[in-house]
Formats: sequence, C-alpha cells, structure tokens
Amino acid sequence: MSLFEGLRFRPGTTFVHRLDPRVKLATSTMVLITAVIHIDIVIILFLLMLESLVILSAKVQNLWIKTIRGALPLVAIVFAITFFSQYSREPVISTGLGYALTYSLRLLVFLSSFSLFFLTTTPDEIALTLQQLRVPYEYTFAFVSAIRFTPVMAEELQVVLDAQRARGLEVDKGPFTKRLRNLIPVLVPLLVNVIRRSYELAEAMEVKCFGASRKRTSLKQLNMRRKDIFFLVVVLILFSVGVSVKLLGLEPVKTLPLLGQFFPD
Amino acid sequence: MSAIFESVHYIYPSKVHALRGVSLEFRPGELVALMGENGSGKTTLLKHINGLLKPVKGRVIVEGIDTRTASVAQLSQVAGLVFQNAEEMFFESNVFDEVAFALRNFGYSEEVVRKRVEWALKFFELDTYSSQSPFLLSGGEKKRLAMAIILAWSPRIICLDEPTIGQDSLQKEKMKHMIKMLNTQGRTVLLATHDVEFVAELRPRVILLSKGEVVADGKCEEILTDETLVKKASILMPQLVYAFKRLEDLGFDSRVLDVDDGVRQVLKVLRHESV
Repeated sequence: MSLFEGLRFRPGTTFVHRLDPRVKLATSTMVLITAVIHIDIVIILFLLMLESLVILSAKVQNLWIKTIRGALPLVAIVFAITFFSQYSREPVISTGLGYALTYSLRLLVFLSSFSLFFLTTTPDEIALTLQQLRVPYEYTFAFVSAIRFTPVMAEELQVVLDAQRARGLEVDKGPFTKRLRNLIPVLVPLLVNVIRRSYELAEAMEVKCFGASRKRTSLKQLNMRRKDIFFLVVVLILFSVGVSVKLLGLEPVKTLPLLGQFFPD
Repeated sequence: MSAIFESVHYIYPSKVHALRGVSLEFRPGELVALMGENGSGKTTLLKHINGLLKPVKGRVIVEGIDTRTASVAQLSQVAGLVFQNAEEMFFESNVFDEVAFALRNFGYSEEVVRKRVEWALKFFELDTYSSQSPFLLSGGEKKRLAMAIILAWSPRIICLDEPTIGQDSLQKEKMKHMIKMLNTQGRTVLLATHDVEFVAELRPRVILLSKGEVVADGKCEEILTDETLVKKASILMPQLVYAFKRLEDLGFDSRVLDVDDGVRQVLKVLRHESV
C-alpha cells in the first residue's frame, strides 16, 4: 500500500516543486535510461545518491522512504531471482551477490525517479506536459485519471483486504505459493470495482460532453524559465557523461580491478 | 459480557482522531444500534470488535479475548462483520463457494461446510441462487448474501455496517425480520446506521456517537424522541415523533416510534374524549 504513496502529489514550495514539469519528466527519463544501459553498481549508487539529494531538497524524503519500504518485497524478489539465475550460470557467491545487489538498487533508482516526479508534480501539470508534448487529449486524460484514482484504489484495496480478513483470510501466512493464491480474493473484487468505476467515469465524462470540441485551449501555459533551463543543462551534461562512459567502455566495474572480481564479463 | 470497550482511543494514519475515550459494554443477546453523523466513529467502533483495528489507547475485550493479542481470523470466529458494500467481499464464481470460503479458511470439513452453507442460504432465502454468480444478484440479495457469508460460521456477535443502505422498503422489511430472528436466537447484534425509521421499528438499545465520543446510551424510546440528544448526534427523529410533538397540546405523548404506538395513542385520546 505504501508503494502508492510515492505516486501521490503533495503540495510544496521547494525549488523542485516549482521546476517546469517537462524538465522533471526529462530528468526522470534520463535517469531511467542511464540506469537501464548500465549494470554497474558504482553508477547505480551514484544515480541513487543524486536522486537522494534532489529528494532531500524537495523535502519529500519521508514519503520516499514509505514508497521504498512498500517496494521492499518487490526488491527482495528481484534480489533473489537475480542471485539464483546468476549463480546457476556461474556458481560464485560473490558474483551472484554483486549482480543481485546491482539489480535491486537499479529497481530503487527506477522507483525513486518516478516517485520524485509524481510527488512534486500536480496532475494538472502532468496533463499540461503531455498536452504540450502533443499527446492526444484522450490519452492524457486517461493517464491523469489513472494517477488521480491511485489513492482511491489504495483505499479500496484496504477495504477489500479488511473484508477478506474478516472472513478468515490470512494474506501473510503460509508458503509463497499460498500467499500468491491468497491474493485472488483481494484482486478479483478490486478489479470488478475498477471496471465499474471506469464505466461510471466514462458515462460521467460523456454527460459532460467530453470530446465535443476538437480544439482545446488551456488557461495555463507552461513556460521555461532560466532556472529550468539551467537545471536541464546540468542534467543533460550528466546524462551525456553517463552515456559516454558506456560507449567508451569506461565503466568502473571494468576499470577498477577490485570491482572486476565481483562483476566478470 | 459480549464485548467491552475500556477508554478506547483510535487515531487513523491520516491523523483523524476517530474514537476518543469510548467506554461501552455489550451484553450477550443484546440488539444495539450505533447512530451518528458521517465520521462519528460508528464503523471504526465496529472494526475494533473483530480486530481489524486495534486501539491506540485503552482496550477492547471480545468474549474474554483482548483484541490486541488476537488475530483478525481468531476474533472473526466470534464476531462477524458485514461490510457496508457487500460486493467488496465477492470473488467466487458462485454463491455457494462465496459462502463456503470463510468456512474453509476456518478449517471446517467439507461435509460441515456443505451443511452450513445450505442452512445459511436457506435462512436468507438465497438457496435458489446457489450456483449463480454473486455479482448477478440484486442489491438486496447481495446484502443478504453478505450476511449469509458471516452467519454461516455462527459468530456469537454480528456487526452490521449500514445494513439498509441502498435497500428498497421491501428489502428493508426482510432485513428487519432477519435481524430480529438473529437476535431471538441469542446473538448479540450491533448495527451501525443512520436510518432512524429502521431503528425505531427494531427498538434496540441506542448509542449515539458524535466526533468519536458517546453522547447518549439508552433505550430507543428515550433517545430517539429527545430532540436535544438527536441534534447533538446530527441525526433526525423518526417522522412520527415530529408529528406527535405537534399534537402534544392535545394530550398526545410524543414518544411514538412506530405505527402501532401511534394508533394506540390516538385511540387512547379519542376514548378519553368520548368519556
């Protein structure tokens, strides 16, 4: 549940909150690409450190920690799967642990980059960003609605969970396969509610003449300011360095002999 | 005692102080209505009985068990909670399996499961829908199915959260009849509701809640006819009470909760006048 906390906008007046949403989206995307192209623990840790600095300056560290706490089971699964698949290929524990740690931290980088974007950007700003990126309004609306309904769904999930626990369902008990099976009584009512809600929303939008006018105008326009451009340039430079390191084969795991032991080619 | 609340406080993670020092006792076989405006703490109170919520201060004892030391599954066996929105618990492909789900969780044998499910479906007049999808039932039937699900394992305490919401008058009548039957069987029945007319006909013990505190606790006749108390809990008195309050000058008693009471009052005054 707390995993969803990181997708919920919290008002704030920090520098990060006031950044142009397009810059924030570009930053998150660049962090994501850098993390995808590198399987290098040093670079992943560096990205995580940069993200932590931005999170601290945005003063959303408590919510970020909640999100990370909620994602820990997922991180544990990634860790276990990576360790065993690596170990089955090459039965060296240190290598298995090295890769498992890298992949787990990489997942945290992904989560943090998007958590940061959603925590500091209002749904309206997200809609404007997508609109100015020429995404058709229907898709923008669908995406923004999905974000808006995330906390509602989190609440519904809690209600369904309570209802099934009141019927003797113990979601956290038993072996892994049983726990997975135990999710069915929770997910089915939730899915039914989501489908019903989407129909209701569609009807409500049609009643309000959604799509009647092809030409949409916005009251607010996004304008890049000097600080936005400065921030974007810094991020672009860091991104270029990250890509160059990959293209030139200068990753720390390849250049530092100590790390090379843990991460053979 | 069925359940005892000792100075219970509960604060939601959103910092809403939902219960503020609630102390109550529910006796075995009692029929109790918890009433109050939205957010007064009715549902929060019910969720403490089967351990879905644990007090942040104070304690709740249910059938001798301190809820802080027991799991929801353990407590649910003695205290069943029927949720406001029945559909929030449905997931099986047919009504029979929906009722059997909890019984299987509690470890009953298949033979016992079959017998109990059949009995519960019959009790709630749902036996003809046994193989039908629960999602295809009408609103009233869904509510009755939610009650059958809980009643199947015969908990000694039954908590109903807003049992009449979204129900037409015929379904309400059936619901009233079933609640009375459950109570007659010696079960403690707790209702959280705004529906004053429904409560007036059931004549339970009434507990008024406001902002997480108990503002009144007593007989239905005394509480639902007291304008000051009812206002405090932001609910309305039954319509007949308003009507008879206007006729007080003519010698009518305004503590009239249902049609039978009203007729008795009118006949009494008419007879008195004819003498």
